Amino acid sequence: MNIREYISSGILEAYALGELSEKERSEVENNLARYPELREELALIEEAQEKLLMQAAIKPRDLVREKIFAAVDQQKPEAKVIALSPPNNTISLWKFTAAASITIALITSYLAYTYHDKWKATQSDLTNLIAQSQRVAQEYNQVNQRLNKIEEDLRVIDNPAFTRIIMNGTPNAPGATAYVYWNENTREVYLSVQNMKTLAQENQYQLWAIVDGKPVDAGVFDGGIAGGLLKMKDIGTGAATFAVTIEPRGGKPSPTLETMQVAGNVVKG
Amino acid sequence: MVKRLQAKDRSALAYLYDHYAGALYGVIFRILKKEAIAEEVLQDVFLKIWDRFDQYDPSKGKLFTWLLNIARNQAIDKTRSREISQERKTSDIENVVSRIENEDYIEQRIEGIGVKDILKDLPEEQRFVVEYLYLKGYTQSELAEEFNIPLGTVKTRLRLAMQQLRTTLNVT
Repeated sequence: MNIREYISSGILEAYALGELSEKERSEVENNLARYPELREELALIEEAQEKLLMQAAIKPRDLVREKIFAAVDQQKPEAKVIALSPPNNTISLWKFTAAASITIALITSYLAYTYHDKWKATQSDLTNLIAQSQRVAQEYNQVNQRLNKIEEDLRVIDNPAFTRIIMNGTPNAPGATAYVYWNENTREVYLSVQNMKTLAQENQYQLWAIVDGKPVDAGVFDGGIAGGLLKMKDIGTGAATFAVTIEPRGGKPSPTLETMQVAGNVVKG
Repeated sequence: MVKRLQAKDRSALAYLYDHYAGALYGVIFRILKKEAIAEEVLQDVFLKIWDRFDQYDPSKGKLFTWLLNIARNQAIDKTRSREISQERKTSDIENVVSRIENEDYIEQRIEGIGVKDILKDLPEEQRFVVEYLYLKGYTQSELAEEFNIPLGTVKTRLRLAMQQLRTTLNVT
């Protein structure tokens, strides 16, 4: 190799300026190792370059220095670990794995917490809904029963086989009213209380049918029950009058006439 | 010095900074022309030096050369990653004006004797090459391309200029 020519091509200046490709660079480095003249020449070039650039220096603001050393101080412990242990990649892989695991754990916990919350909320919603639907079902049953009752009552009231007897208040209870629906063929008796006062706990009303001048017991009932028909005891045929007296709870075999509340005669249509 | 840096001696880095930061910042600033970005790159350069000091091989060149190469490459990479490159390459009037303003600004902050003084004895064509490569942040191939000079000629002109400057700069 012609060293003089090599030098005068300017390749060492380009090398010092960092302008060469990877390939050219390693060629120059090989030559430098082999030829001391090249090393001497390079040293002169580098020195001139350094001096020139030192003359062209621009002072950066002080804050840059502070930032650099703050960053260096922050990474110092980490840098030491890396310097001491050669398997650099293992550490960063390990770090990465640890960081990834922690991240996944955090995300999972968060999701678990969130889903647990949602699950609990859903469960309580479900409990409420079940209770609500039970309530609705109960109400439906009650309404249904009342409807059935009303339909049955209507069948009695509408049925021409039943005779309606209006029982008006006696001087004992001038405002009281009650109706009896009586089917002479089937002997059934129904009572509809329109307006009768509530009795003391130990007393009950007792319905009587007067058949051939004699009172026949047709069953007891409590006052204050409005709406709907009460099924009473069947009686024989030929009743001329119905009346209600107040008797001790459970009723008596014969009426206490002084307590008569309402009474009405059977009007045969 | 090199051993202290390899041992991650903070005070050695401080010395390196106090000694070379200005020269390196001069190089970086001339390439990037923007203070904030140049400072950011200078910071990156010193952190890189600190992290990779074990890669420095004294048999391949002086410490300053190694530092210069890192700084220059980092700054050039930055021009490619930003819109700066475009501003630098286009030569419309606005950019020429802003470049001139920047140069005035640089000159105000230069320490020591003016570089222009050092270069004043060089033949025009050599001074041009030194200015563009060292003071305007061009690479050799950019210079060759933009001014239509063969790359080999750029190299030999720089060679001649650097030889001449040894006298001016007292390199023996």
